[in-house]
Amino acid sequence: MSLEQDRWTGVGLDRQVQAASSNPVILDGQALALWRGEDGPVRVWEDRCPHRGMRLSFGFVRGDTLRCIYHGWAYRTDGQCVEIPAHPDLAPPKTICANSYPAESRYGIVWTNLSGAGSAALPDFGADEGWEPVRSIYVDRPASVVREALHSFDFGDVSEVRMNGGSAALVRVRSGLEILFAVQPVSDGKTALHAVAKGQGVAGRRADLARRLERLRATIERA
Amino acid sequence: MAVTTDSVALNEWVPCGWLGQVPLGGQMDTVIFGQKISITRSDDDCYRVETLPEDGSSGRQLPVQTRYCCIFTTLGEAKRPLPEIAEFDEPDRRVTGCGSVGVNTSPYRLVENFLDMAHFSFIHTDILGAPDRTEVLAYKTEHRKDVDEIWAIDCTFYQPAASKASATGQMTQYVYRVMSPFSVMLYKNVHCDPTRNDAICVFIQPKGETECLAYMPMAIVDENSSTADLIDFQQSIFLQDRVILENQRPALLPLDPTYELPTRADASSIAYRRWLKAMNIKFGIYEKQAA
Amino acid sequence: MTIKLYDYSLSGSCYKVRLLLHFLDLHYEKQQIDFYPGRQHKSLDFLQINPLGQIPALEDDGLQLRDAQAILCHLANKYDGSGRWLPRDERHFGAVMMWVMFAGGELMSASAARLHDALGYKLDINAARASAHAAFRILDDHMTLREIEGAKWIVGDHPTIADIACFPYVALSGDGGIGHEDYPALRNWMRNFRRLPRFHAMSGVPEYV
Repeated sequence: MSLEQDRWTGVGLDRQVQAASSNPVILDGQALALWRGEDGPVRVWEDRCPHRGMRLSFGFVRGDTLRCIYHGWAYRTDGQCVEIPAHPDLAPPKTICANSYPAESRYGIVWTNLSGAGSAALPDFGADEGWEPVRSIYVDRPASVVREALHSFDFGDVSEVRMNGGSAALVRVRSGLEILFAVQPVSDGKTALHAVAKGQGVAGRRADLARRLERLRATIERA
Repeated sequence: MAVTTDSVALNEWVPCGWLGQVPLGGQMDTVIFGQKISITRSDDDCYRVETLPEDGSSGRQLPVQTRYCCIFTTLGEAKRPLPEIAEFDEPDRRVTGCGSVGVNTSPYRLVENFLDMAHFSFIHTDILGAPDRTEVLAYKTEHRKDVDEIWAIDCTFYQPAASKASATGQMTQYVYRVMSPFSVMLYKNVHCDPTRNDAICVFIQPKGETECLAYMPMAIVDENSSTADLIDFQQSIFLQDRVILENQRPALLPLDPTYELPTRADASSIAYRRWLKAMNIKFGIYEKQAA
Repeated sequence: MTIKLYDYSLSGSCYKVRLLLHFLDLHYEKQQIDFYPGRQHKSLDFLQINPLGQIPALEDDGLQLRDAQAILCHLANKYDGSGRWLPRDERHFGAVMMWVMFAGGELMSASAARLHDALGYKLDINAARASAHAAFRILDDHMTLREIEGAKWIVGDHPTIADIACFPYVALSGDGGIGHEDYPALRNWMRNFRRLPRFHAMSGVPEYV
């Protein structure tokens, strides 16, 4: 049984996870691999090949299988190992299965829940449409400090900051712009923010907003 | 870093430097099993090794042997001698050390990687393995009780460029030999002479449970390559492996066969883990947290 | 006329030069230097080739050059007829040079960390890693903005010597205990780079993409 909290946490921007790629992510000290097949949704797995413990975030994708870089073992999207190149004629036993976590894409953010089949709901900020990715940014401060800073940072004429159980924050600006932050605790001293935005003309303002987040990071780290 | 209390580990000979690393009349500090030690060199082949206690009190002098391009010592009562590797005494051999390379993982991960053929096609692509010839044929493993060593014999693997001297691909015959928990070697057939084998070793200096220095002395048959080329080839192979070694999780070695799932190609790793388990070694071993 | 490269396979700086030579399909002679443990780059013979005692060094038609960045500029300037690897137009030239200098400057902290961890160099490893992270952050911020613009490379719409100069020590940083977890835009850029035609890996950079 997992001792992890039953909670959805954003771990990356959907659009930034390339097709046919595997990526390392640390959530609360736990190493995860975010990977996407040549098409299809992003998967979130434990970053460990069941064979010899190699991190699967170093792996490579062929079709809809993730292959471990060490020995090329191929894992299907449900985690089942389907090929062992050292023994081309062997059907891998059912027991060889990568450990996967639930993964959902909403608002352009990839969310996962390390407690497994939890009952917690995904953060709800209304309809899924209209959100544009801004950027992910890594801040060398604990999540509590970063959450606090979201309340006080100058995003313009802020009308409201709404938290959702600590793992997401919605900043509303009077101009009609909305910025949604997923807060990912990386380690005791580091936090990732995955930001998406919605509002009139937001697609053309992504670079501005991304630079704004560089300032946010600098402001938090200087405080 | 605390000094290990595991007498099984402490009773082994381990390398602590390479010949030429300490200048004549010079001195060098290093660490084995968490214990700081000092190496002094008074003459060509005259080394003195002693512990450097944390509290500044005078140290204990340790036994020293120089062989296979390395300086060896032990903190305990060595239960087995240094291995005999006859190839290093053959006059026409190119005997070369490659310095030492730091690797942040447990020593056993290094030994297992060295014993493994199934990664050749993926990690040493187009050198020790080809992308389309990944099969590991059945081989035999044995625990040689007279010398208390693990051997893997009758190993074969197709290699596009098996050594610096190879011009074409070949089916390479391998024999692997684990001489101690911290040392392993291989014999592989020489491209130009079917009657002889290159001998390549890895001796590991465990600085801590997940911090090692690897020494790779080799005695090979190759009249043509320069020493710089031989070292470059061996180091290139090792640094391909090093990425893997530093990214295996956990870094400590799990001995529970359900925690990491082996297949037939891992027969040598299985034999090695059983042997480690039977000798009840604790240093650098992963003990699963109670659920 | 031959090009001769004084090379060490494990050197990320030599790798920069090998990458461009390969992208340009240039034939060259390799002179292997026993950098470690032999320290041949500090030998009297080698100091006559490069008095700084550093690799790579390059000889080309009587010209003797040191410094990976300078060598990249030379090779692109002389041999790249397309002008793509080192664009000369005013919008791109300065920007390419800026990132080439960054590769030979700030990014070299990642090289230092690697020399410490793998080859036992004595230096302040925490300071080296912190400086490398600071440099990676600057490049990741830049590549994040480039992604937003729909671009793939550091400058312009074709890879340049800026990408070649920056790639090795970002890609090899794990060897010095510097992970890529915090740099999603760098990961995407590196993957794009590794998928270039004629790209080849070196030890520490996985062959499979």
